[in-house]
Amino acid sequence: MNIITLIKQVPDTTDIKTDPKTGNLIREGIESIINPDDRHAIEVAVSLKEKYKGKSIVVSMGPPQAIDAISEAIGMGIDEGILLADRNFGGADTWATSFTLGKAIEKINAYDLILCGRQAIDGDTAQIGPQVAEFLGLPQLTYVMDIEEVDDRRIIVKRGLGNGYERVESPLPALITVIGELNKPRYPRVDLLINACKENARITLWNAADLKVSVQEIGLSGSLTRVIKTFSPKVKREGEMLKGDKGEAVGQLIERLAGNYLI
Amino acid sequence: MERSDIEKLLRKVMAKFVDQEVIPVAREHDESGDFPYDLFKKIADMGILGIRYPKKVGGSGGNTTLYCITVEELARGLLSLGATTAMQCLMATDGLYRYGTDEMHEKYLRPAMRGEKIGAFQLTEPEAGSDLSNVRTRAIKSDDGWIINGMKTWSTSGPIGHFHTVLTQTDPDKGLRGLMFVFIPTDTPGFSHSKKFDLLGTRTTQMSEIYFNNCHVPDEYMLGQLGRGLDVLLTILSEIRVMTAALALGLQRAAMDDSIKYCKERVQFGRPISSYQLIQAKIANMAVNLEAGTLMSYKVTHLIDKNIPCLNEASMAKYFTTESACKAADEATRIFGAYGYSMEYNVQRYYRDNRFLLYGGGTHEVLQTTIARQYLR
Amino acid sequence: MAIFIDYDLCTGCKRCEKICPYNGIEVKDGKAVVNERCTSCGVCIDNCPENAISSDIKEKEVPDFRDRKGIWVFAEQADGVMAKVTKELLGLGQSLAKDLNQELSAVLLGNNVGHLIEELQKYGAQRVYLAQHELLSVYQTNPYTKVISEIILHNKPSIFIIGATPIGRDLAPRISMRLNLGLTADCTELSIDQEDGLLLQTRPAFGGNLMATIKTAYSRPQMATVRPGVMESKKIGTSSNCEVIHVDSSLTKEDVVTRVLEFVGEKKKVVSLNDAKVIVAGGRGVGSEEGLKPLFELAEALGAEVAGTRIVIEEGWLPVERQVGQTGQTVRPELYVACGISGAIQHRAGMLGSRYVIAINKDERAPIFEAADWGIVGDLHEVVPTLTNAILNRKGK
Repeated sequence: MNIITLIKQVPDTTDIKTDPKTGNLIREGIESIINPDDRHAIEVAVSLKEKYKGKSIVVSMGPPQAIDAISEAIGMGIDEGILLADRNFGGADTWATSFTLGKAIEKINAYDLILCGRQAIDGDTAQIGPQVAEFLGLPQLTYVMDIEEVDDRRIIVKRGLGNGYERVESPLPALITVIGELNKPRYPRVDLLINACKENARITLWNAADLKVSVQEIGLSGSLTRVIKTFSPKVKREGEMLKGDKGEAVGQLIERLAGNYLI
Repeated sequence: MERSDIEKLLRKVMAKFVDQEVIPVAREHDESGDFPYDLFKKIADMGILGIRYPKKVGGSGGNTTLYCITVEELARGLLSLGATTAMQCLMATDGLYRYGTDEMHEKYLRPAMRGEKIGAFQLTEPEAGSDLSNVRTRAIKSDDGWIINGMKTWSTSGPIGHFHTVLTQTDPDKGLRGLMFVFIPTDTPGFSHSKKFDLLGTRTTQMSEIYFNNCHVPDEYMLGQLGRGLDVLLTILSEIRVMTAALALGLQRAAMDDSIKYCKERVQFGRPISSYQLIQAKIANMAVNLEAGTLMSYKVTHLIDKNIPCLNEASMAKYFTTESACKAADEATRIFGAYGYSMEYNVQRYYRDNRFLLYGGGTHEVLQTTIARQYLR
Repeated sequence: MAIFIDYDLCTGCKRCEKICPYNGIEVKDGKAVVNERCTSCGVCIDNCPENAISSDIKEKEVPDFRDRKGIWVFAEQADGVMAKVTKELLGLGQSLAKDLNQELSAVLLGNNVGHLIEELQKYGAQRVYLAQHELLSVYQTNPYTKVISEIILHNKPSIFIIGATPIGRDLAPRISMRLNLGLTADCTELSIDQEDGLLLQTRPAFGGNLMATIKTAYSRPQMATVRPGVMESKKIGTSSNCEVIHVDSSLTKEDVVTRVLEFVGEKKKVVSLNDAKVIVAGGRGVGSEEGLKPLFELAEALGAEVAGTRIVIEEGWLPVERQVGQTGQTVRPELYVACGISGAIQHRAGMLGSRYVIAINKDERAPIFEAADWGIVGDLHEVVPTLTNAILNRKGK
């Protein structure tokens, strides 16, 4: 079984602090990590490979430093990595990202299963999986919390939907997006990690020309959406004491909660 | 295309492991004082226990630098775990790796790298610590091997080890020239141990006395040459010292990380204590010592990786980082005020654990003497 | 692609530095400098008051979209019951439709769901596109994508909004790729730009540390998913009429590739404090294990997890993995409700990263109030149940 796993290197948002004066993000010293959901996808790929043989590949689009995410995935037991790095891929929205990833998967050609994490912690969009599936014309299974059965023609999974789960069967090839409940990702092995950092490591770099895509289709140029501004949501505590008897105070509190979309 | 930097990547991977798997359970392990088998197994599964050995014997194909990065990170979470791992990777198995037969590799080295067998390294005796010429554990040649009699004390993993690399005397008249290392599995008839010592710090380390009563081992269990025990020790002494330095760096970072976090949170007189200059001085000193110790230590690991002799540099690194670690742990307890005196916070553990580093790998009084000798001769 | 700074024009005002979503531009020695984090997104160009920033990015031509009209809402339903988010989307759609002076439509798919039309109308739909088919009775990605894509292609709406529910987040990106549409996920605010009439889509990013406003200039409909629970539903009078357009879908069995074997409903599982979005925490003020009961009830109403301070754990009222503080867990939920917690630094250190904090304590001088957004002075045993009831009442509405 040949498995392609899509991964993303992201800033560790749990470490992110905002400058209390300006409200700007402080990005210095923030570690780049493999997106947490993607780590679960890698674990699926490696454990399926151990069971069914075949080849496992990770694909990641990002700056040259994103090679660390690929090296770590190889440390976890993935066979090969492909890094899609090109200045022209920069500034891509989800559509342009999925288009680029889709082109790379078409170039790889041989696959039975495509895996990705449900969503990335920097964007939280959860769009890449379904968009790539649509680009390739594959069935998609999102929010997968358990893989019950898989053989070379079909897969049965549980999809976690918050209020319960759905058992679904799909033919292969298919794309699945996984959630954290699925497994506990292994830590990389030192020997594999050392291999991944060697000159002859099985990591390939593809640029726009390798994918035969025009600059107009990728990166910011290919994006259909534009970020027009960013701002910090909140700088400091309100520090407001709610007065009145308990009914009045609770009434005011409810207003505040609703006003900030907390209920 | 430029590849990932293994030193940075390994540190990142280890840091994550320590943050997620070690720190949350460190206090519990320290309190129970039991050997952390579960963590040891996880470490083995990552291929860490074979990090110094080549792939052809089942190792991970790393080097001393990667080894020290790993034990430094582990020590940041729990010093005794770092020390246990360090021992298994180096002193407990190096003689076995260098001088053992294929059969011994199969039976002991590979299982040790898989975390299935625990090894140990035994030098110290009641009358012989820094003065190894006074080792009295006696090895006497028999027809088909050696017969060992005597005892060792401060034996790491004494009560739980599966095999020991033991320094013995073959001819008391020869002093240091009579020393020899012998490999003794604990299932050898005549091997026994005392009950576990109760320790101030590094409480998951299982220490005891061990006894050899007519323990018979075959010829191939002699590690290195007859009378060349000291050379065997010298082969890895720089590495032992820099490894101890790495442990000290890890402990120092733990003390400093906790101090920084705490002094930013703790408010007195209406502002965080980090805004007071006397606290800042403590943090600055910790940072400078850490930076200097890191430079000293990793200079040594890179020299070792290039096979360049560096025992003096290694001794200095061990001496400096350990003293810095002791200071950092002390200052951390002061920054924490009364909370530094509470068993609920980790700084008290750093304060207790750091004492271990003063003795492991050579006392500082002896180290200072040997360092000075380099300059006074 | 690159960004260029004209140093003769740059005044070092730092506006670009503040506005850059990627920290890709910094002011050094009084001039803006582009660093390696720059993705050439171009936000700085539009925001530079001195026009000192330019790039070699060719702006894409905006196609003529004058024939695209109408605000559409995906009418999510399950088993013939309207999803709550559908009403919220219609509420939002009403104000967007008013701003643009266009019609508000709902797209309803299912089998035997005609009875929902009246409800859609009541919440503001002026038109309903209704597609009924036995293959649409349960949501499945492929048939839903196919039918909705066809309706969009034939009717050319300007805006299409979908709830960011498990279904919406499965469906929307699929449609966006099929029809090559820009899509913004999980918006918390949508409005119309008065200048160009485009949809302004605002959403949190970087784990809520940053808000971004996004426009979709290059494709129609402008598509966004909207976080459930954020928008308000608004009923309108029943006098207005509602046009129903029946859509004949060309679905066949071949359009359904996956097969739903069963759905198993489950009660909410216990979530680790690290992952909890809302935490209700108790301190010494709860007084006893019994005293935690109102906290659990509030947590139930808020979909929250219950945590405690060191004393609560040491008394054995809660298990150790529920401890928040320096020697327990460090948490960063969206909302932290501190009940009967004095707020010693020991505890505050563990919850300072919370987005919003409510403090309820008898002692008005308790330090927890300094760390809170909203404080109520009172006995938690009275205030908490009042709050729980108020939340339940609001939900019931």
